Amino acid sequence: MTTKEYEESSSSATTEPAAPTRTGLETLEMLRKVWAWAFLVLLIVFFTIAAKQLNDTNFLSARSIQGILVYATQIVLVGLGQTLVIVTAGIDLSVGWTLGLASVVAAMVMQALYASNVNPVLTIAAGAAAGLAVSLIPGWLNGWLVAKVKVPPFIGTLGMGGVVTGAAFLLSGGYPIAQQPPYLGQLGNGYLLYIWPGHGVNFFSPPDNLASEQLRELIPIMPNVVFITIFVVLACWFILSQTQFGQHVYAIGGNFEAAVRSGIPVRRTLIWIYTLCGLLSGIAGIVWAARFTSGAANAGETTTLTAVAAVVIGGASLFGGEGTIGGTLVGSLIIAIIQFGLVILGVVPFWQYVAVGTVVILAVIVDQLGRTLGK
Amino acid sequence: MEPLLRAVNLTKRFGGLTAVNQVSLDVYRGEVVGLVGDNGAGKSTLIKMISGVYQPDGGEIEFDRQKMALNNPREARTIGIETIYQDLALAENLDVSSNIFLGREVKKPFIGNVVQTMDRRHMRRESATVLERLGIDVPPLLQQTRNLSGGQRQAVAIARAIYWNARLMIMDEPTAALGVTEQRKVLMLVRTLRDQGVPVIIISHNMQDIFAVADRIVVMRRGLKVGERKAAQTTADEIVSLMVGAEVVREMGVIPKALEGANGAPA
Repeated sequence: MTTKEYEESSSSATTEPAAPTRTGLETLEMLRKVWAWAFLVLLIVFFTIAAKQLNDTNFLSARSIQGILVYATQIVLVGLGQTLVIVTAGIDLSVGWTLGLASVVAAMVMQALYASNVNPVLTIAAGAAAGLAVSLIPGWLNGWLVAKVKVPPFIGTLGMGGVVTGAAFLLSGGYPIAQQPPYLGQLGNGYLLYIWPGHGVNFFSPPDNLASEQLRELIPIMPNVVFITIFVVLACWFILSQTQFGQHVYAIGGNFEAAVRSGIPVRRTLIWIYTLCGLLSGIAGIVWAARFTSGAANAGETTTLTAVAAVVIGGASLFGGEGTIGGTLVGSLIIAIIQFGLVILGVVPFWQYVAVGTVVILAVIVDQLGRTLGK
Repeated sequence: MEPLLRAVNLTKRFGGLTAVNQVSLDVYRGEVVGLVGDNGAGKSTLIKMISGVYQPDGGEIEFDRQKMALNNPREARTIGIETIYQDLALAENLDVSSNIFLGREVKKPFIGNVVQTMDRRHMRRESATVLERLGIDVPPLLQQTRNLSGGQRQAVAIARAIYWNARLMIMDEPTAALGVTEQRKVLMLVRTLRDQGVPVIIISHNMQDIFAVADRIVVMRRGLKVGERKAAQTTADEIVSLMVGAEVVREMGVIPKALEGANGAPA
């Protein structure tokens, strides 16, 4: 058969099980890709109008946008690791608790060093290092359980979450670890830039000795934690979309058997993925400690749900093989905006749980629908 | 001419069952060998010994005049024995060139050699070349594999094997799940492989397919090789009677209709 005949026969109707036409499929995939963005825009429009009408506040002010972004960092950081795991058709239900454990360990180290007057940079660096190091342990164990012992991710990581929670409460004695150095709060709640209109720009901290009305004139730009998060996001994007490791993540989720047969070191890759997921939860824990100048075992209590929600809303499939960092970013913003918006509208905060839970279920339904239609 | 593959008296037992009993098989360059037999005849077991999945309990395998003891499929693949199973082993979420390079991705330096990225452009160019060489027309290389037809997927799996220097191709029921047009295309491809010097062992239940591509037909029954014929010098009737055993044919007086050109029978 010549190439021409090939073309003819592939374009003519064959006895193949009726696959949707290519354009139909493309439209469907387009929809799956853009619906999260469309939903995000809708939410912003909705809350902007509602906030204006109901209590005359500006939802899109620089301050509230930055507030949303700061709030979103926690979801994003944990969601990044969760993305890697979900792309492999796994799930990590211990992330929120790992976040808590990391915040506790980091806070304990910083508390001790601060009490013995160690220099600020060293104190924070040591605290962060300790928090990150401890977050590797449950991550690695999760990976080992899933990859080597073949424990289903759902139950393995759920169990690990219990162990980690216990460890964090035992370490902290059940209390938040407060009495933190003041500069920790400056780092966690400060901004990269402070613009004082008519006077100039300051980096990292507001100009000294300002009166309270002068302070009100200050325009802070780019919260430190958002800045840090952007770097982490870029790193994860690079890993997942540009490297061989990232390609293997997708291959494992797309066809586990094929990945094994093609010689991909599947088990080693899985262990790395879960370890990385733990590490990212650890980073979120450090950020939490810096924002709230404290460490708490239950700091990430709700983050497991919100992170999974963000990833799934962002287009990742629980069946594996699909999911992007960009998607998770959008998903995180959607969750953050829902939660923030409900607060601004004065809705009882407990409704946030209901909203996030509902949205994640909807997202999974959309994913399944897309699959059945695509088949 | 020396055979590329020479399997001599291969035997494989599973407990008390002798799945393959002293079977010898030669494969020469430039030929397609059809391997047929009823379910449980030992075709798959034989193939798995040649592709390194099973280790024979007796007999030996020579490949290109070298005696081989294959401990796993990877060793078989290293020397150029590629097997394509029905499931094709494609990651359907990835595009064509990602599948051709699956597990063997080409990298390029990003920050020296410490941080490397995938050289996608190189992989796409190479994929296009190998597809063209095999006369395969696959729609945009960026297409996810799941959006391809069954025949196109089969073609991708074949192209991958060829790109990585397959010297002997083993195909297990390559046409089983395909429509008629697609079946023809895959058989075309099998012929192309043969003409380019890569011999093919093809397992099929479909007599039409076997007669369409095979130069030589090897028949197995209950673990034994019961016949070997040149395709040009035999008939489907003869092959089927070898497959089911002459006594069955004699008893029934006719060749069972269901076995004649049985299409898509379960493996």
